[in-house]
Amino acid sequence: MINYIIKRIGIAIPTLLILIAVSFYLMHAAPGGPFTSERPLPAQVLANIEAKYGLDQPIWRQMINYLWGVITEFDFGPSYKYHDRTVNEIIGHGFPITLKYGFWSFIVAVGVGIPLGAIAAIRKNTWIDYLAVGVSIGAQVLPNFVMAPLLIIVFTLWLDWLPGGGWNGGAWQYLVMPVIALSTSYMASIARITRSSMLEVLNTNYIRTARSKGLPTKVIFFRHVLKPSLLPVISYLGPAFVGLITGSVLIDIYFSTGGMGYFFVNAAFNRDYSVMMGITIVVGSLTILFSLIADLLYAWIDPKIRY
Amino acid sequence: MIVGKKGKIKKMAENLSESGAGRSLWKDARMRFMQNKAATISLFILLSIVLFSFIGPYFAVWSYEQIDWNAMGSAARVGMPSIESGHFFGTDDLGRDLYSRVIQGTQISLMVGVLGATVAVIVGTLYGATSGYLGGRTDQIMMRIVDILMSIPYMFVLILLLVVFGRSIGMLFIGIGLLSWLDMSRIVRGQTLNLKNKEFIEAARVTGVSDFKIITRHIVPNLLGIVAVYATLLVPGIILAESFISFLGLGVQEPSTSWGALIKEGAGTISYDTEWQLLFPLAFFVVSLFCFYFIGDGLRDALDPKER
Amino acid sequence: MSLLDVKNLKVEFETADGVVSAVNNVNFSIDEGKILAIVGESGSGKSQTVFGMTGLLDHNGKATGSVMFEGEEILNLSNEKLNQIRAEKIAMIFQDPMTSLNPYVRVSEQMTEVLIHHQGLSKSDALKQSISMLDAVRIPDAVNRIRMYPHEFSGGMRQRVMIAMSLLCRPKLLIADEPTTALDVTVQAQIMKLLADLQKDFGMSIILITHDLGVVAGSSDDMLVMYGGEIMEIGKTEDIYSSPTHPYTQGLMSAVPRLNDSEERLTTIPGNPPNMMKAPEGCPFAPRCNYTLDKCNSDSPVLAKVSDNHFRACHVAKEKIS
Repeated sequence: MINYIIKRIGIAIPTLLILIAVSFYLMHAAPGGPFTSERPLPAQVLANIEAKYGLDQPIWRQMINYLWGVITEFDFGPSYKYHDRTVNEIIGHGFPITLKYGFWSFIVAVGVGIPLGAIAAIRKNTWIDYLAVGVSIGAQVLPNFVMAPLLIIVFTLWLDWLPGGGWNGGAWQYLVMPVIALSTSYMASIARITRSSMLEVLNTNYIRTARSKGLPTKVIFFRHVLKPSLLPVISYLGPAFVGLITGSVLIDIYFSTGGMGYFFVNAAFNRDYSVMMGITIVVGSLTILFSLIADLLYAWIDPKIRY
Repeated sequence: MIVGKKGKIKKMAENLSESGAGRSLWKDARMRFMQNKAATISLFILLSIVLFSFIGPYFAVWSYEQIDWNAMGSAARVGMPSIESGHFFGTDDLGRDLYSRVIQGTQISLMVGVLGATVAVIVGTLYGATSGYLGGRTDQIMMRIVDILMSIPYMFVLILLLVVFGRSIGMLFIGIGLLSWLDMSRIVRGQTLNLKNKEFIEAARVTGVSDFKIITRHIVPNLLGIVAVYATLLVPGIILAESFISFLGLGVQEPSTSWGALIKEGAGTISYDTEWQLLFPLAFFVVSLFCFYFIGDGLRDALDPKER
Repeated sequence: MSLLDVKNLKVEFETADGVVSAVNNVNFSIDEGKILAIVGESGSGKSQTVFGMTGLLDHNGKATGSVMFEGEEILNLSNEKLNQIRAEKIAMIFQDPMTSLNPYVRVSEQMTEVLIHHQGLSKSDALKQSISMLDAVRIPDAVNRIRMYPHEFSGGMRQRVMIAMSLLCRPKLLIADEPTTALDVTVQAQIMKLLADLQKDFGMSIILITHDLGVVAGSSDDMLVMYGGEIMEIGKTEDIYSSPTHPYTQGLMSAVPRLNDSEERLTTIPGNPPNMMKAPEGCPFAPRCNYTLDKCNSDSPVLAKVSDNHFRACHVAKEKIS
């Protein structure tokens, strides 16, 4: 197990480095530096600014400096656009917001998706099965950017129950719609995966063995059925997490929640490369870390994976 | 001895032709597909939508970038869908004809979806087939790379790409395509591993055909079925990605539009009583996506009976 | 009184294409301490017979008739009632030891849960008993190996684990569904010997399901030949071996390879087992039989006495069958 963990971390770190290197080179491949604007600065001023930010050095040198800053001090440098703010400040502002509704979305996706899929599998061909299957097919074509406006139409414009946007320190009224919009399609996918894998497990010989042993249904379900049924779900958690993080960009824009996505899109419009990179790296580390955790969880459940 | 062998081969050939005489794989698959009602209806609807996006413009009164100054700024009162004004689907907030814009958006979204899927299919198939065919250590490393890429939030990289290299439709579908071949490559690799041990591959190898030729001439053609299935399922995924980016305003550029951009505009104005601005593009988007999924499922059942 | 008495057992499956009848009017009984072999090709309804008896049919299956165990009706009892009989009185082992043990749960847990649930033992007592049962089925180093997962055992060892697990509660009846089919030939012999030894030690009855007549010969008291969900012939094993009176039994016998046989070709029974969707009228074996009479295709033969405890279902006079 320990070998496996080390091996797996040994993959995670280079992944992150590659991500950083690629985004760094992309950034520098961009035509025009960050300080090119409509009104060209005097050459001397430009040179001074570039020297201040270390932009006069060769690109590999810049990257190593940057990396060093990120690793040792968690320092992503200054924003190229808002000269008074560092990337750290921007991330520090947006990250807790993203984390909060992202966390709840994840909980809803998993906490509703798995039981829904499990009940559908156990009560196959009953109304609850049809409901679950229907929901999961429907949710496939209702991604977050469709869910979000529909939710606003229903809960804000028609029923006037919930505010149409904002954050307000994360009060629950402001949390409900972002979480539903973000989690629905992943909840549906998880329900679908759980259902089909559980149906498969219920048909295996070892479940028949368990039944022939005269064990109570509860014991059979929790000890013999649940674990193997969850394996495909666990493999899906990594991609689902990537999807949630990606979707958060849209949530921030549409619900004005003010998470990292808001700053990312703003930076994209303003060509504020250092902010874009900083956020990409933070988000990338998160998803890489998460897929590492999901893999370890998988290895913990599936005894055949222990190298 | 030689005679005996010849006899055997002849018999084998007879057996083969016997089993093939009934129906070919593709004919068989087409029959199974036709029996699937949801899939056939979806195919019909989808073809209608495509057809509409081509002949629709001949019936349009307004072009997609022309502004109806009457409706501009007062879409809620003047710009509703009507036959008389020529705005069959109403106008958008700027007074542009939504009918023409939906047609334009349909063309662009479908095009990005199909071209993006093509890029992803080509890259994914070649990569997966190579990995599966070569096997061993190369395979392990190549699949590890896929694992690694899968844990990267590619939408962020894509947006970075779009910002750096400028926003264009070409960049959009190449970018999305290049980033969505991962699942494809995994599926293709699995299938290749199965194929690899078949006799005809062995035969080709023994007679000295090069690896590259075996992959392109023998393996890839035999992967067509499964590739077709997943390509159909890939198209809606790519349309989703494009719509997502366009919804953020980072996709297609005005005055061009796409489903995502139209949904964004419609969603932005829902509080002004102009719900048609959201509902028309949304209906096209949702219906088309449904169709793609049902067709993909139908194809999977038709081409891959063991999956059922 | 017999330990188990099966009367008019029928098993049917509701499928999308109609009702499939898998077992048709099966009658047999087994006494304490005896071994009964149920023989037939795959698809002949052997397994569904015992699944029907013990309530382990798939959801779309339905069993009717009567199954008396120790004088009490057990067919279609509630799951709770059946759970008190399963493992405690009637235990089962299955064909494929690779897939019959849960690959995600340690052997120790899969074994102890039986004792904990049925006999209310503590975890450590259950573990001790499980280990001694593994010793009894001759698994070396049981103390350590019990902590392992099924995939860490070989096929034969896994079947031993299955057997040990089934015997934990000292059942009166062990149902062994093709216990050796998935194993190597040498291992098959070991497992059969083990089963025979254990049967003597524990004094239980065994229903041995197999398609391998070689397995039946040395190891059973009675045998029952099934085809197309119906009983073709039933009687003492030695009687049937010395004088098979049913064309199907005969076919099976001649399909067993013999080392001392000078003939090179192995006889086979032509054709395939019947499609149970459209169960044929008359004798199910008629389409493949060498002796078919006209009425074989229309009337279903009933079991008729050949001698004491030896019955057969065939229209053809037994003298004609050689």
